[in-house]
Amino acid sequence: MNRTQLQKIATDWFEQQHWKPFAFQKQTWNAFLQGKNGLLNAPTGSGKTYALWIPIVLNYLKTNPNYATKPQKGVKAIWITPLRALSLEIKQSAERFIEGIGVPLKVGVRSGDTSQKERAAQKRFMPDLLITTPESLQLLLASKDYDNTFKNLQAIVVDEWHELLGTKRGVQMELALSRCKNITNNLRIWGISATIGNLEQAREVLLGVASESYKNSVLIKAKLNKKITVKSIIPEKMETFPWRGHLGLHLLEAVIPIIKNSKTTLLFTNTRAQCEIWFQKILEKHPEFAGEIAMHHGSINKETRLWVEQAIHNESLKAVVCTSSLDLGVDFAPVETIVQIGGPKGVARFMQRAGRSGHSPGKESIIYFLPTHAIELVESAALQKAVKQQIIEDRIPYLNSFDVLVQYLTTLAVSNGFFPEDILPEVRSTFCFQAITDAQYQWILNFITLGSQSLQAYDEYKRVEIEADGKFRVNSRAVAMRHRLQIGTIVSDAVLTVKFLSGGFLGSIEEWFISKLKPGDVFTFAGRNLELFRIKNMQVLVKLSKQKTSKVPSWMGGRMTLSSEMSEMLRDELYLTHASAGKKSPEMKALTHIFKRQEKESIVPKPDQFLIETFKTRDGYHAIFYPFEGRFVHEAIASLLAYRISLLVPITFSIAFNDYGFELLSDQEFDMQQVLDNDLFTTDYLKSDLQKSLNASEMARRKFRDIAVISGLVFTGYPNKMVKNKHLQSSSQLFFNVFSEHEPENLLYQQSFIETFEHQLQEGRIILALERIHKQTIVWKKM
Amino acid sequence: MKLETIFVKEHSFILHPSGAIFWKNEQMLLIADVHLGKASHFRKHGSPVPMASVAENFNQLNAVVSYFNPTTLCFLGDLFHSHLNNEWFFFEQWIQTVMCKVILVSGNHDIIPVLKYESIGVNVIDFLSKKGIHLTHQPEKKEGFFTISGHIHPGVRLVGAGKQQITIPCFFKQANQLVLPAFGTFTGNFIIEPQLGEQIYGIADDEVIKLQVG
Repeated sequence: MNRTQLQKIATDWFEQQHWKPFAFQKQTWNAFLQGKNGLLNAPTGSGKTYALWIPIVLNYLKTNPNYATKPQKGVKAIWITPLRALSLEIKQSAERFIEGIGVPLKVGVRSGDTSQKERAAQKRFMPDLLITTPESLQLLLASKDYDNTFKNLQAIVVDEWHELLGTKRGVQMELALSRCKNITNNLRIWGISATIGNLEQAREVLLGVASESYKNSVLIKAKLNKKITVKSIIPEKMETFPWRGHLGLHLLEAVIPIIKNSKTTLLFTNTRAQCEIWFQKILEKHPEFAGEIAMHHGSINKETRLWVEQAIHNESLKAVVCTSSLDLGVDFAPVETIVQIGGPKGVARFMQRAGRSGHSPGKESIIYFLPTHAIELVESAALQKAVKQQIIEDRIPYLNSFDVLVQYLTTLAVSNGFFPEDILPEVRSTFCFQAITDAQYQWILNFITLGSQSLQAYDEYKRVEIEADGKFRVNSRAVAMRHRLQIGTIVSDAVLTVKFLSGGFLGSIEEWFISKLKPGDVFTFAGRNLELFRIKNMQVLVKLSKQKTSKVPSWMGGRMTLSSEMSEMLRDELYLTHASAGKKSPEMKALTHIFKRQEKESIVPKPDQFLIETFKTRDGYHAIFYPFEGRFVHEAIASLLAYRISLLVPITFSIAFNDYGFELLSDQEFDMQQVLDNDLFTTDYLKSDLQKSLNASEMARRKFRDIAVISGLVFTGYPNKMVKNKHLQSSSQLFFNVFSEHEPENLLYQQSFIETFEHQLQEGRIILALERIHKQTIVWKKM
Repeated sequence: MKLETIFVKEHSFILHPSGAIFWKNEQMLLIADVHLGKASHFRKHGSPVPMASVAENFNQLNAVVSYFNPTTLCFLGDLFHSHLNNEWFFFEQWIQTVMCKVILVSGNHDIIPVLKYESIGVNVIDFLSKKGIHLTHQPEKKEGFFTISGHIHPGVRLVGAGKQQITIPCFFKQANQLVLPAFGTFTGNFIIEPQLGEQIYGIADDEVIKLQVG
């Protein structure tokens, strides 16, 4: 069959469904059938799934004309999804087409939720189309004869690539793809990404720098021109509106009519704790919603989450209070309205959430922004402009993530074993490791075989062994098993499962929170007030409580920072305080009263001013700086400044920071004039000063925690087993200390500093910030 | 270097910043929780703790033994972290250089056979009670005795004005007992919360400092 005939199969099927293919879908079919790789830029709910499933199936028909009588065995395509919750929907889409055109292909899902039995069955007889996660793909690479399993692989599709791109899961994907390219013939690699600032780079990262696959690739954009309307909820009485740090509950009543007037509303909160509280408060104030509203966050058990998602589909819910857990995937056609509670911190995230409403193509997306405090009103005004101007952040890919490489090479050693000289060119073809030197590669090889850089007397180090023919292999079954358990790059705190005494699983909760509670204490979880009965075998046993007041758990999760784009928009908006009334947004007008108050006590900085406020309380001497650059940059500038001041006088500071500014607090008085006179905001010696200040602060240590787990330094234990291998317990902190003392040249130790510099500080953002401050006049207000 | 001396009954004990204490009247050096072999145990299981930390343990042992030159060296348990591994050979070599009598009060981690210790002249016992002093691994009460033990790896969190804090290892003294900090280099701290009337001697680099409780 030629391409036109093949495409006719697809268009005919579309017609039967009373659908009309979009231009981007046809473009993608075409490019795929021409043998191209690519990146498809399309939002959720736009029909992106069919853009790629269809040509995969068509290509199979083309290469196997006798498919009906002599079906080809083995897996033909792998669809990677970052969230296993999305697998089911992707599977249904694929099956709908396959059944529609009557091709005998089997679609299977393999993820952390797949039963042992099913996995074993898959191992014997792989589904034709496999839907899986980046971690499960690595696990396949860790099983014997994986090359045979993938022999007939024709395509890998990485869905929601933008979600993986700026993470170590992305690096894991890059490495897996580099291997798969070399064990298959004619593999096509496709990514699907929502709109981000660096789409071109996203394609390069997916396909490999200057690789053949990259040269033979296209970027296809689904120009759907979705209209997004942002409405901000402005409090009627600004006098009582908090200046900072609240949950937004004082605007609860403003949300009620929005919920009532819309078919289904999603309320996005920034944290799981906030989600729990909002859910409770809505029901408390408006019991009439009972049974019509639900809650959804990542720590609630899977069945409940699936039930909620199903209920949204069935239009049986009026509203769902949720977190980023509903950011991705699942097509929710009935959702008409979105409410964002608190600052979303980034334009891309905000737009993605907006896109959850008016899901059908062509419909308008409506999003309400509910500020939780005064400055968020400024954020709201800034967001509206950013959406209008389509200013969208980049996702910065990782470079030289040696921890992931250590894990990956061990994975290959666990399954078939590998020859280092075969693997190096593949590794180097990835974006992440494009600049890895021979010496660094050798360091990693020594690390996994010798546990150090030279053979040491009496050493019993055992992980990867080098066999007589030079093959690197793991021979110890115990090492192999521990490694398989530890594959992955998402490091979370120890979690315990929450269960009713009478049975019934509620979800999971972090150990550090529960360890602060005593039996009898009441806490809120999954929308219920629960009394802690006892903790046993990593399970928290609870019963329902009638008590009204309770503690709300918080989860450590990712702290989000204001993106540099958002920061800039925010500053520009703030400077408008001084502009004439005509130029001000309604939000800024509403804030007039607060700005007046601020002007009375201090100033609202103009574009050429940098504000520092100092005062004394019972806690000590405070100095507050307002760069408005987001929490990550603030943490770095704060520790830099603390370090530089300590060079003038011996002094210790406590550092606090948020998205708007940072605070230095000390038990001794220090002279701010000295800070100004000595030009402590200079960019001279920035790198070495930062390095030294990082040593004194916690930043690099925090990064090292993940690195230690990913590279297998720290063993996090067997799942759901209380009895861990006791003699192997240790903390990443202990490792950090011994490396800093005995092995500061260790690449993994150094990586923690480099990551802090390059990723947390987002390459030079701090320099730009300091240069900006340098040009500004510093206004120091003693309060 | 700054040391502290404490007096219990008719005895005096010198607290050393390595975490060891010297029982003056008995010329006995007490050391708890060295956890030898821990680094090697990790290495054997694929987790590369730098070998240099192994040598560091022995350097510190040498330093404190030559400082006090005791007639008896008593380990208060958890001398070895786990099963026998190659660090045993280092220990064997080291023990030959030690001139004094060596005793091990057995701890929960000490699973290496007693015979192995005896073959190199180390006497293994469950506890030692002498002249009103009771030496054990785990803290315990014994009527009429003052207990000296290890096991819990005490550390203390110091909090200052301006929300400053730091955690350091410490000696923890209650009315009837004293707990030593862990001597080993690759060990962590358990943070204790002292009550009024208890005494804390913190270790800050090479100084032992008596801290104010409350």
